[in-house]
Amino acid sequence: MQKYPNPMNPSVVGVDVLDRHIDPSGKLHSHRLLSTEWGLLSIVKSIIGAARSKTYVQEHSVVDPVEKTMELQSTNISFTNMVSVDERLTYKPYPQDTEKTVLTQEAIITVKGVSLSSYLEGLMASTISSNANEG
Amino acid sequence: MNSIGEACTDMKREYDQCFNRWFAEKFLKGDSSGDPCIDLFKRYQQCVQKAVKEKEIPIEGLEFMGHSKEKPGGSS
Repeated sequence: MQKYPNPMNPSVVGVDVLDRHIDPSGKLHSHRLLSTEWGLLSIVKSIIGAARSKTYVQEHSVVDPVEKTMELQSTNISFTNMVSVDERLTYKPYPQDTEKTVLTQEAIITVKGVSLSSYLEGLMASTISSNANEG
Repeated sequence: MNSIGEACTDMKREYDQCFNRWFAEKFLKGDSSGDPCIDLFKRYQQCVQKAVKEKEIPIEGLEFMGHSKEKPGGSS
């Protein structure tokens, strides 16, 4: 059985701001490029090449300083022929106590042309869900 | 946190420090006038653009240093 990369622990190893501007309504938009490193075994890295174990994600965020909200949307731009992970997060003040924040997170995951696709989708969905609970 | 381009990390850190200060002390307090970080950002951007090209990172639908286009719905 083919061993997939471990979907449990991608860690962000690089972040760059590609663009940043304030729109006419005063909200701050940022476009960022994130590079993540999968927790591949060193033997797998030596086979596929260490450079290929990096995946890239493009993130767009909007901060509204008046409403005190932040929205993030991120999409993978590597392996788009295999999988698409589109994640959206919103942070808003908690209505009953504005010292607290409500985080809403959703992810749309599409796995393309890979057998065991429904298994992988389920695995990724539960990973994102458990990571969301932690953070 | 490092930059994607190894050579850009120092410039990125300088820009990040400037931005974080402006963000906390000005922007979040309702003052979005002026951009004290523009020069740092330009230098840092030039480095990042070069790294993105060298590493052939497939960024689409984005203009550097300009108003970015709306993200298209779903990747192809």
